[in-house]
Amino acid sequence: MRLWIYIARRLLILIPTLVGLTFIVFALTHAGGNNLILAEYINPRLSGPAREEAVAKLTAELHLNQPIYVQYFYWLAEVLKGNWGYTNTPIFSGSVTQAIALFMPNTLSISLFAALLIWVIGIPLGVFSAVNRDSVGDNAVRVTSFGLYSMPIYLIAVALILALGVYLKVLPFAGVVNPLLVSNVPWYHNGISYPTHILLIDAIIHGDWVVAGNAFLHMILPSLTLALGVLAGVIRILRASMLEVLDQDYIKLARAKGVPERAVYNLHARRNAILPTVTFFGYTVAGLLGGAVVVEEVFNYPGIGYWTTQALLNNDVGGILGSTLVFGLILIFTSLILDIVYAFLDPRIKY
Amino acid sequence: METQKTEYEADRFREIKTSLSVFFSNKGAVVGLVIVLVYVVDALLVQFFPQALGLKHPYTLVSNYVNPVPQPPSASYPFGTTFPGVDLFTSILKAVRVDLGYSLFVVLLGAFIGTVLGVISAFAGGIVDEFVMRITDIFFSIPYLVLALAIGFVLGRTLDNMALALAIVWWPIYARYARGQALSIKEMTFVEAARASGSGGGKIMFRHILPNVLPPIFVQISLDLGTVVLVFSVLAFIGFIPNANVPELGYLASLGLNYVATAPWTVLFPGAAITLFALAVNLVGDGLRDVLDPRRRS
Amino acid sequence: MEYALSVKDLRVSFYTRRGVFKALNGVNLELRRGEVLGVAGESGSGKSTTGLAIMGLLPRNAKVSSGSVLFDGRDLLAPLTSIRKFSTGRNESAIRKLHRELAPIRGKRISMVFQEPMTSLNPVLQVGYQIAETLVIHNPSLLASRKLARVRATREDTTALLKVIKENEGSETAVREFVESRHLKGLEEQALFIWRRNDINELRKERLILDLCCEKVGSTTKRLLESLEGGMGITKAPVLSRLLRRVLFKEGYRKAVEFLSTLGVPNPEKVVQMYPHELSGGMRQRIVIAIALINNPDVVIMDEPTSAVDVTVQAQILELVKDLKRRVNSSFIFISHDLSVLGEVSDRIAIMYGGRVVEVGPKEIVLKAPRHPYTTMLINAIPTLDGREIRGIEGEAPDMRNPPPGCIFNNRCPFAMDKCRKEEPPSYKVSEDHYVACFLQGGK
Repeated sequence: MRLWIYIARRLLILIPTLVGLTFIVFALTHAGGNNLILAEYINPRLSGPAREEAVAKLTAELHLNQPIYVQYFYWLAEVLKGNWGYTNTPIFSGSVTQAIALFMPNTLSISLFAALLIWVIGIPLGVFSAVNRDSVGDNAVRVTSFGLYSMPIYLIAVALILALGVYLKVLPFAGVVNPLLVSNVPWYHNGISYPTHILLIDAIIHGDWVVAGNAFLHMILPSLTLALGVLAGVIRILRASMLEVLDQDYIKLARAKGVPERAVYNLHARRNAILPTVTFFGYTVAGLLGGAVVVEEVFNYPGIGYWTTQALLNNDVGGILGSTLVFGLILIFTSLILDIVYAFLDPRIKY
Repeated sequence: METQKTEYEADRFREIKTSLSVFFSNKGAVVGLVIVLVYVVDALLVQFFPQALGLKHPYTLVSNYVNPVPQPPSASYPFGTTFPGVDLFTSILKAVRVDLGYSLFVVLLGAFIGTVLGVISAFAGGIVDEFVMRITDIFFSIPYLVLALAIGFVLGRTLDNMALALAIVWWPIYARYARGQALSIKEMTFVEAARASGSGGGKIMFRHILPNVLPPIFVQISLDLGTVVLVFSVLAFIGFIPNANVPELGYLASLGLNYVATAPWTVLFPGAAITLFALAVNLVGDGLRDVLDPRRRS
Repeated sequence: MEYALSVKDLRVSFYTRRGVFKALNGVNLELRRGEVLGVAGESGSGKSTTGLAIMGLLPRNAKVSSGSVLFDGRDLLAPLTSIRKFSTGRNESAIRKLHRELAPIRGKRISMVFQEPMTSLNPVLQVGYQIAETLVIHNPSLLASRKLARVRATREDTTALLKVIKENEGSETAVREFVESRHLKGLEEQALFIWRRNDINELRKERLILDLCCEKVGSTTKRLLESLEGGMGITKAPVLSRLLRRVLFKEGYRKAVEFLSTLGVPNPEKVVQMYPHELSGGMRQRIVIAIALINNPDVVIMDEPTSAVDVTVQAQILELVKDLKRRVNSSFIFISHDLSVLGEVSDRIAIMYGGRVVEVGPKEIVLKAPRHPYTTMLINAIPTLDGREIRGIEGEAPDMRNPPPGCIFNNRCPFAMDKCRKEEPPSYKVSEDHYVACFLQGGK
């Protein structure tokens, strides 16, 4: 019962955050003045009176002559209707929502894969490191994660490309698939696979295991890079949290009542240590999404991040702000979900 | 009264002495400090005595279109060259100044805005507090790299604007942190005592709360500097600044990206330079955190 | 005389950045069977460290330089004393080894109640789980027989059982004999618990006792329980162990309810389903006491169990301890800084100062006719209602990094002699059972 009240409250807090997010994006759209917005719509080859006429028409149509707060509501209405403006980059020209629909699946697939890697590598390592405090293993984990923590993500990417891609030649490091494999595939054209736009899944749907395997191989390096970029922070936080928990009286009591060491760590300590880091995973998601921008650029992986950098290089407002908005929405809703999960896991939450 | 004061000073002195001994007993922190100092000296030399390092153009990259393809490290180019014929060693020397300067600017500006807003927020409470915190929420709701990119983009794609955008993205961290610190200090007995003895709100805020909020903020700054250096170079790496000729480590690394398979040094050397700096700063930050953390002092 | 537990010449130091603190400097203590030994002293005297050392729960920076804790013919601290030169890594692995070795003893034969009830319980586990856990770890066969007894018993069995109880007015031996004759071991405590409840009327009691029968369980579960009852450990097979544990924990909850009820916890069925934060401090302390006592340990160490709770709860807990002393045959070490609390519950009292036991003897003698100057001063410092003047102890506690040579109390002792600054006083026997470490008592 209490939990539902908590969730309701958490949903209420969502409203100002969403308003704030949309307002920031709106403000950024308009900060550059009307010309920047008009440039999205107007034919650049128009000039003279024809252009002026077009400008006047568009200004009225887009409500650009209204006070700024009124414009916000017109803008918001358009956004809610699904009209997020237009983007024009070498990899895609068209409406922003279409671009997102095309690119998001790729970003999601490598981010989720990376999150999975973080989960299966980060948590055991953090716990191991704390439990075996000051041992050789702990020191190795700490030095490695400290080093990773201090590396720019592009350096991690390049180091992995050089080691696994160039020298050992075990993993591909450009694009989503070997183009030769998909040159004659009916469900794949112009770099887009159908119906889900996630090549791996589409290939499985169509039973093309060669393409599926190749697509999976192409996912490994970008995901691993993303995971390593965020992993260090996760391990550090988890280790610190675990050490703090191991110092608590209830751990002393657990030992005093003869709980075997393994159960002390796995049952009594781990859950308490992970709980506070659940909200910290919001940071992880932010790190993953931000990292995706760089990783997709380095690996030529056509996701939202790649689109964002293309938009940046081509001065494309629609692309930049569209991706800002969609990244913001993803982050807001993932932290909402994480908070609710946290509330389910921790009996102490009471509001 | 007099003796009390000297006693207080003696206490203060002892406090500083233990702090220093805690810091210097941490080998990593000392190594970090030495590395940071090397970078700082390099930055200062480039700024004020570029001749000392033999740099003719300390603030720009020198291209060589006659031989633009990256050359491997050799006697004349200790770190090799990157596209278009840029000597990496001298460029890295120059770039340290840019990265260090801009990152410091970002962190200090962010920390200043954030601390002031955070302390005011904690002290005022009520609607002001709620308002400031909701704003920080909104900032936290967008991945900072993406938000900085968008803000910088709207401001115009220059190095200065990139730094400004990062500072705008960075202050909420400090606002939250300073607010938390200020709130806990506000509850402490000495603040109660000051209030009971009739000190005004402003006086309490600036004489009692702020000085106690600042040390943890400085530690946070030292911990953050490493992250900001990285984010700054990442933004430059993905091409934030168009056709720049500025020596910046991330930009320098991006120049050689297309050649990385055959000329790995083009990315590895600038990357290593920035990693070493971030590592050193993080080590120093860790050492400072030990000094402030009473649990780690014992 | 055979002791329940004895501590011999225990020396423990803590390695910190500020120096090496010598917390215990040769502690000698004997705990007799069935007694309550009170341990008093100011903070820093080493009384809590002694308790933790006996349990092997010392922190990672603690070094045991010499001494032993003898229990059941073995030295519990052997892994720690074997370390020659202190290093964090070596100590850490020795402590891990110690935890491994002591786990089967802790909570079963020696258990401990901590000072802070607010933080001693795991916040994310139900209190019932935390009590049941000790049972499942140390006494799974008991849980198995309890469950199996209800499965095996027929209505006819329980009817007869009720008759036996009624005829003998709840006599334990009679019920036990009856239960054994019918191979229903495990049923007796459940039946007697119901019989002794006073929150329900006779009729309901009878119904409940009659209902202790005819339970159904799956054949796999039954087989698992039977092998457990036969002395096999909990199976390690993946799915089966899970199944078995679930049944055992359920039974553990049931026993926890019974046990809590005997500790005077109202509404125990509800309480076991709660999380620690939903309970008051006094209630949590009872839970911690229940965890410590539920396996009938030989030795229970209570480290300031009443210091963190308010006065009324303190009184209730003292009553509880006194009651327990009568009912169970455990021996207690009761650590407190409060001599009046110790006067209430102890049989003997040991006074600690500077990591040493300075005086030990029967409580009447130590409290009424103390022989060590420190004990005298400590007793004079107790506030009383009759208006006697309270005198604090002058001087400061010694710096334990660098304790003074000779008697550790010499810098505060009004009777200090030259000898006290040079030699460490041995323990003198001043009367039957009464020992004092002071040259005034025997230093001719």
